[in-house]
Amino acid sequence: MSLHPETRQSLLLRLRDRDDQQAWSEFFEIYEPLIYRLARAKGFQDADAREITQDVLMAVSRSISRFRKADHAGGFRGWLATITRNLAINRLRGRNLTSLDESVAAKRLEELVCVDEHNHDEVRFEQEHRKQVFVWAADQLRSRYSQANWLAFWKTCVEGATVAEVAKELNVSPGTVYVARCRIIARLREIVEQQTAGESPL
Amino acid sequence: MIRPLPVCPKDALFSLLDDSLTEIQTAAVTFHINECESCRTDLEKLAASPLVWRETSDILSDPSLRTEATSSLPRSELIGENVGPHPVSDVQIRNLLPMLTPPEQPQNLGRLDHYEIESVVGWGGMGVVLRGFDSALGRPVAIKVLHPHLAAHGTARRRFAREAKAAAAVNHPAVVPIHSVYADSQPPYLVMAFVPGGSLQDRLDREGPLETAEILRIGYQIADALAAAHAQGLVHRDVKPGNILLDHGQNRVMLTDFGLAQALDDATLTASGLIAGTPQYMSPEQARGEAVDMRSDLFSLGGVLYAMASGRPPFRGDSTLAVLRQIGNVDPKPVCEIQPDVPSWLGSFIASLLSRNATDRPQSAAEVATLLRECLAHVRQPLSNSLPKSIPLALPPTKTAGSKTSLPAALAWLFARRRPASWAIGILAAMLMLIAASMVPKIDVWLRGANKATQSQSENTSVQSEATQNQSSPLLPFDKTQWDDGFDLPLRQLRQQLEAARNP
Repeated sequence: MSLHPETRQSLLLRLRDRDDQQAWSEFFEIYEPLIYRLARAKGFQDADAREITQDVLMAVSRSISRFRKADHAGGFRGWLATITRNLAINRLRGRNLTSLDESVAAKRLEELVCVDEHNHDEVRFEQEHRKQVFVWAADQLRSRYSQANWLAFWKTCVEGATVAEVAKELNVSPGTVYVARCRIIARLREIVEQQTAGESPL
Repeated sequence: MIRPLPVCPKDALFSLLDDSLTEIQTAAVTFHINECESCRTDLEKLAASPLVWRETSDILSDPSLRTEATSSLPRSELIGENVGPHPVSDVQIRNLLPMLTPPEQPQNLGRLDHYEIESVVGWGGMGVVLRGFDSALGRPVAIKVLHPHLAAHGTARRRFAREAKAAAAVNHPAVVPIHSVYADSQPPYLVMAFVPGGSLQDRLDREGPLETAEILRIGYQIADALAAAHAQGLVHRDVKPGNILLDHGQNRVMLTDFGLAQALDDATLTASGLIAGTPQYMSPEQARGEAVDMRSDLFSLGGVLYAMASGRPPFRGDSTLAVLRQIGNVDPKPVCEIQPDVPSWLGSFIASLLSRNATDRPQSAAEVATLLRECLAHVRQPLSNSLPKSIPLALPPTKTAGSKTSLPAALAWLFARRRPASWAIGILAAMLMLIAASMVPKIDVWLRGANKATQSQSENTSVQSEATQNQSSPLLPFDKTQWDDGFDLPLRQLRQQLEAARNP
């Protein structure tokens, strides 16, 4: 069910058009922080994580036109997870690191190279992607609502304040707070659904 | 005022979320929700599942996620110096410049050799710019300090020294003079003349797009300064509005930061995660990391002219990578499409500077300077100065679709003049055109007839302008500078507001 049945194609499909700036900026906004975070979680320092992020995004922008969903069981994000893993391994192999001693690097490499039997990386990638999409969607919506509406949503849904408190603070009726926060979360859900929907087969 | 609803408005809840109810309906349903718990629950379920409510709360309240979303790659470093002066605390300054000694004047930040440091002017990828006072010579100065983590690189320090020396050798009224270079200081710094006023970037942020004559005046001075530097074999590498200073009277234009981007443009440095330069004005060859020559500066100059004419850089994106991707892959939107009152010849000249291939651009800064000067003379005194012959004359909008002229294009052409007095005649002409729609190829003739009629009824300047058009370029239908500028003002303000809303 969608309140605004936007007939937008999936991000992956739109990315094939190199001139679709909207799609590419969405892609960078969502995946840049996501890949950086995953690299940090693997134990890379800030500078190395940034380098890996750049390498991955550059690799994707170079080879997106050759991506075929049929070749990758995990779909687009599975493919991204694989690229991230491989480029992280490359970086460890090249020892092109700003600060990591040899023994630690060797251990990391071993961890990364050993077969990912249960697709942990892919599962983790999906989870982190969903989180990032929530954050991204909130950033998108923030500017579309008035301060009062946004506060009604943010304070009650995120900060855990009660509707009565926030209504009093904003000097509106509790009903207004209910409506505002429901409207915003409904849009948020739509954006998340749209971004996390499985891509159509290519 | 609002009467309670007799029954629960279950059917209206969806429309309430969708914001498709009228104001009165919304008020009535909201009032009902205030009282009715069952409807409240239904509304919440309709908006999102309990899982999504919980996820929203968990994810958005996660502080690690929030900060990383906005700071995994610090924006100030990515977007360059456009973010404006960075609020810097005393502690940060002290960390950055451990060699500062206590100031002589208590209100100052500190002292560096014989310079009293008064404030932080700017903050960018390559270091920090301080406002200081030379107590030996008794004059204000600007001090640029190389970022300590760059200063740690031997290559960067040597480049900084070499380029600063080269830049100090350029003697031109439109180049900010460099007084001294302290290459062996830790970190290295250089001392330049302090230019009061702000940068072209500040002015564009404040005023939006500039007048044609102003674009040409500023553009000419920058091109001339670049020609002087190029004659010395020095490539600027970072020509952008933030590096173009305008003095208080705004008459003098001064280019700064010569060749300094080179200090960053090094493979060993990019490995540290820092991206050299400001990508929005980079040439494609620079963005690809290839060797650059003088023509790379001409591309960037084209970008600056583009920004002055349209109010925004030719390439925009939310991250460095997004911008770099566009450069060399995408042609920027033609200036005249963003800003219809930019003369089409100026639009095409800017586009020629922004050619992806260096060989397709004008080949020297001196040539560009001469052309811009001649164009400026033309705009100021169209009767006695015609446009330079080598300026590419784009076809006016009425001609772009080939030999046939579409009615909407012709109308747009008429109204693009934005001249209230000619509107009535424009409408009349439009009606005539409707009648004449069957004779499409002849519309051009019609339009010119209509113009002549308009102008003969208005004051001398308009007649003059028509005369100029005939003399210099029959295809040039209008020139913004010839028309009443007062009428443009509200539009410009509106545009600025829109831009501001779009790029908070």
